[in-house]
Amino acid sequence: MGGAARNEKRRKQDEAARKLAAAGIRVERKTGPNRTAIILVAVVVVFALLVGGFIFWQRSSGSSGDVAATYPVAVSGAVVTAGTGPVVVDTYEDFLCPQCERFESRYAGEMKTALNEGKITVRYHAIAILDRLTEPQGYSTRAANAALCAASANIYPGYHEKLFAEQPAEGGSGLTDEQLIAFGTELGAGADFAACVTGGTNSAAVTAETDKAVADPALQTDGNFGTPTVTVNGQKIDLNDTSWLQTAIGA
Amino acid sequence: MKSSRALDVIGTLARLGLAAVWLVSGVLKAVDPDQTYVAVRAYDVLPTAGVEVVAALLPWVEIAFGLLLVLGVGTRIVAVLSLALLLVFMAGVVQAWARGLSIDCGCFGGGGAVEPGQTAYVQELLRDTGFALLACWLIVRPRTVASLDSRLVDSERT
Repeated sequence: MGGAARNEKRRKQDEAARKLAAAGIRVERKTGPNRTAIILVAVVVVFALLVGGFIFWQRSSGSSGDVAATYPVAVSGAVVTAGTGPVVVDTYEDFLCPQCERFESRYAGEMKTALNEGKITVRYHAIAILDRLTEPQGYSTRAANAALCAASANIYPGYHEKLFAEQPAEGGSGLTDEQLIAFGTELGAGADFAACVTGGTNSAAVTAETDKAVADPALQTDGNFGTPTVTVNGQKIDLNDTSWLQTAIGA
Repeated sequence: MKSSRALDVIGTLARLGLAAVWLVSGVLKAVDPDQTYVAVRAYDVLPTAGVEVVAALLPWVEIAFGLLLVLGVGTRIVAVLSLALLLVFMAGVVQAWARGLSIDCGCFGGGGAVEPGQTAYVQELLRDTGFALLACWLIVRPRTVASLDSRLVDSERT
């Protein structure tokens, strides 16, 4: 229907309504959605989508996944120390924890750059607090053990990244030992890696590290320890602060 | 005439009630994008890229619905869209329940996996049904007081 035809129709309707009104009859006009309302709704919803898209784009910047890790890695107990920079970052992560996967996908690239540039030292604490959330239980400990095996096999940076990239869902069965071994083989782990994974060589160290972290009041939020927890020079940081690393290294 | 006025008031309460639901749930999701991602991921329906997109956009769509309902712009359209979104949410909860997942719906922030036995699917579905009824009222009878819709109709009359 063209604009002129619509106006003509409306004019006729108004005319008719006036005549009826003159005769003492009230006609209630249709109050359904009109064109203006439809346009307004569309505009507001599209605007909302743009806001969400913009914030998403802003937050998901800076992935440097293709940069090779050139920093030294050492392992002691269930703590992997990477880099030699003056600013010390401690991360407490469970490989099953979805929020840890979020943390890694957002900051791993930035951290790798800072590690390569010698600005920070990162101490990765292998934590297993979600063992009960897989069926069969225990994926968190198996994954943490495998990551420490990878550190001994000199493939920690790639392996750590891989475990989060392939993170299984909570409530599922987790990755199998075969999968955990295959990741290591892909990255060039030696022959003793498989035995380290299946034998649970570092499981006791993981449990000890977890107990220590859970009991540390400096790592708690409202009296509870959760993962991820990250400290910079011993001070727990707010993970909602997207510029925490820049602040820490004074960039 | 008098009963029509009463129905307008009931409709207004439904409109503002639904608006409050969307605004609160939208803002709680928008302020914690990572938690929202985890909540969406826990339904185990979408691939990673889909989870990213839904988690990024959903909070803002909810806020948009809330604002439109507060102002009373296109109440019937927004009510239809609200009902559609609520049905999607309920379908998500039902599939999680049916598949034996133990998750929190993350309806008002939070979300993600919970201990088996800590789920609240019945309560979550009843709550969503209540919200859906508000939307249904507004679809059937979108006329409310203090809405921009009435002005839009008025301006058309001149």
